[in-house]
Amino acid sequence: MNQYLLKKFGWALLTVAFVVVLNFFLFRILPGDPARMVRDPRLTQQAVEAIRVRFGLDQPLHTQFLLYVRNLLQGELGTSFHTQRPVADILVENLWNTLLLIGPGTVLSIILGILLGLGAAWKSRTAIDYGILVASLVAWAAPTFWFGIILLFWGSSQLGLPIGGKMTPGANFAHWWEEWLDVGKHLLLPTLTYTIIYAGQYTLFMRSAVLEIFSEDYILTAKAKGLNSFQILRDHALRNAMLPTVTVVALNLGFTVAGAIEIESVFSLPGLGYTVVEAVGRQDYPLLQGAFLLLAVSVIFANLMADLLYSYLDPRVRVT
Amino acid sequence: MIRHKPLLGRVAIVLLICLLLPLAVAACRGGAAPASAPAQDTATNTPAILRVGWPGSPDTLNPGTGILAEAYTIYSLVYDTLFTLQLDGTYKLNVAESYEVSDDGKVWTFKIPTGVKFHDGQPLTAKDVAFSLNFYKAHEDFPYLNFYTLAFESIEASDDTTVVLTLTEAIPNLESQLLALYILPEHIWGQYTEGAAAAEYENPAMIGSGPFKLQEYQQNEFVHLVANPDHRLTPPKIDEIIFQTFGNADALVQALVTGQVDMITEMPSTAVPVLERTENVQVVTGTPLSPQLRDIIFNQLAPENCPAEDGICSGHPALRDRAVRLALAHATDKQNIIDVAMLGLAKPGLTLVASGQAYWYNDTLQDYAFDIAQANQILDEAGYLDTDNDGVRELPDGSRPLTFRLQWANDIPEAPRIAELLGQTWGQIGVKTEPQAVDPDALTAACCPAFDFDIMIWGWSWGPDPNDPLGVMRSDQIPTGSSESGYANPEYDQLYNQQAVELDPEKRKAIVWQMQEIVFNDVVYVIPYYHDVVQAFRTDRFQGWIVDQPTLELSDPSSLMTIEPVQ
Repeated sequence: MNQYLLKKFGWALLTVAFVVVLNFFLFRILPGDPARMVRDPRLTQQAVEAIRVRFGLDQPLHTQFLLYVRNLLQGELGTSFHTQRPVADILVENLWNTLLLIGPGTVLSIILGILLGLGAAWKSRTAIDYGILVASLVAWAAPTFWFGIILLFWGSSQLGLPIGGKMTPGANFAHWWEEWLDVGKHLLLPTLTYTIIYAGQYTLFMRSAVLEIFSEDYILTAKAKGLNSFQILRDHALRNAMLPTVTVVALNLGFTVAGAIEIESVFSLPGLGYTVVEAVGRQDYPLLQGAFLLLAVSVIFANLMADLLYSYLDPRVRVT
Repeated sequence: MIRHKPLLGRVAIVLLICLLLPLAVAACRGGAAPASAPAQDTATNTPAILRVGWPGSPDTLNPGTGILAEAYTIYSLVYDTLFTLQLDGTYKLNVAESYEVSDDGKVWTFKIPTGVKFHDGQPLTAKDVAFSLNFYKAHEDFPYLNFYTLAFESIEASDDTTVVLTLTEAIPNLESQLLALYILPEHIWGQYTEGAAAAEYENPAMIGSGPFKLQEYQQNEFVHLVANPDHRLTPPKIDEIIFQTFGNADALVQALVTGQVDMITEMPSTAVPVLERTENVQVVTGTPLSPQLRDIIFNQLAPENCPAEDGICSGHPALRDRAVRLALAHATDKQNIIDVAMLGLAKPGLTLVASGQAYWYNDTLQDYAFDIAQANQILDEAGYLDTDNDGVRELPDGSRPLTFRLQWANDIPEAPRIAELLGQTWGQIGVKTEPQAVDPDALTAACCPAFDFDIMIWGWSWGPDPNDPLGVMRSDQIPTGSSESGYANPEYDQLYNQQAVELDPEKRKAIVWQMQEIVFNDVVYVIPYYHDVVQAFRTDRFQGWIVDQPTLELSDPSSLMTIEPVQ
């Protein structure tokens, strides 16, 4: 067990180190000059030179790299070229918004996906199964931004829900629960969008996994023992069927930290995805390096968690 | 029988914790934030809060390093300056009560009244004014504001009420240089003058002396301002303004329709008909305070002017010929481009000097008529014939077809339509285009000073003075990256230098008009259109918006200080 864990951690650390190096060189291959922020006659050649010095871009590349690694080891992510703010501050703010969106959305979509997938498999080849199947396919295949916009129009005009940001700016709340309510109202539509899109995917995975297990001999044995359908489902099918779903969830979790960008921009929740796209456009090297490091670490962490969960769900993984 | 522990139950508990955790943290964060009271809480009536929806957010609260227009909107509300630009295009004294100019035009003396206070209660004196101007002058790495100080030789406060600004040479447009030089409190900024500290200071409290004070700022979310009732000139009639960022245009429009915001600063052209039908919403269009234009850039760089260091200079040789550019101008249907790509919300353009720069705009120039036959005739006469009958003309020596790369920045939503329309009409005169959308950074890299392109669709936005648009076409800007056409004309360069120091407005105007005529005749650019600004507000919330001036900008301080709640 310990060796298994150590090996996994070792690989994770190695990947992070690789990402650190890649991050530095990757963005510097992009065309353009971050010091020449805008094409504007007011931005004179002298100003560009002065900005380059301030950003440290006048140093040779290897010096810049050593400085970057040294600062990173001291926990310094640097200052954003675009906003002149510490990268760590920006990332924390954005990560927070992202988590607010994908946290509840992920949990709800997992629950919904597992339940619907189980239900569909249990009632396979019935109207219920086909209904769930079609709905899941549509949800999974629908363009996220389109689906989000539809919900946005419907929610704001029919239900009077707010459609921008995570809470009403400038509001004074008399009670903590009023503030919660306000945040909840703002997050309802984006969370709903996220939940429906991802639940569709999880339902499909869960359904096919359960169906596969239903054809196994031990299910037949369980039936022969006289267990009822619910017992079979709970005790024999669910745990085994969880494995592929955990994989997908873990993969998604890592990527949605960056990948909820469509929902973020439809509902004006400035999260990490939004920031990364902006930063690429502005060649904000420090912010890009910080953001990609964070994204890489989340993907690696999510995978590590999946591995650990695997060994919990499937004892065979622990042995091998 | 072996019974597993109830798996679903455990998973459910874990999931529930995950679900509630963010909310719990939200509450903690919310509790830690200052529970701020509105500006005037003494009265029992609720404060008048204007909610503005806009698509952007300030990049920084530090005026030294600001780039985005949204940042400058906030600066102009929170800070005072020596001069402000009014919607009729004239300049007005702001923090100074009077000024004198020496006979040679080089020494400007401003009188700062006593009793002006910063938002933190400290007095604003001539020393703060001198400090601010010196501060911008000292920091070459301030992308915009340093530029405005280039003509300053020294700035001194002889006492608390007198600022003496000495110029290296007399310039005709000092007022326009002072518009964005915001007066900062020395007692705060004095400790951030050295090196990178000046640029990296986040300016979280944003203490200024303007008509509004900063209450709270969340980047990419909102800027919350409250009125400064003690403002010397113009105390606002509303209590608070909240600028809220919307990540996409549809949500922005919907927020106005549902009354979640009271005004929006821009919208897609497609939303105009919908909003015009919406009850209690008024759409207004006009000439923007900062003129904005779309340009079609011809790479006409002569080989001998190719920048030694950065030049790639791969432009098509035919574009160096005025006849070809003239034919392309005649084959450009500007009105159709405006109707199709801009849904009519723009005006046909002439040169880089935009119609919004009213006084300086030469409106006597007669635009090249859209005339395919004439365009064909020009190319025929110049010897560009289709010798191999493939529908595309060749150079007079037959060596190369008139096939041009046509690139545009992919952040211009209407550019693909423009390129398509150009391809159609230019195709009718035997010119082929190879259209390509390019990332703005890649376009900059190809543009200038590399000159690795044939034709580009791009755009500009200017201040009120004609120096900027005219300066772009100077030959000494070819190696610096400012010139995008590679145009070189010694006569033009000389006129530029002349107008830059001509103090008599009428004489300067004559030179500026002559320069526009030169570049128009040389067909340096084709300007398909000058943008209209399109904004909208709710008529059931606030009244008194200024919409009858030569330029339109609802988020201009003048409008925001005039409006009052609808009773």
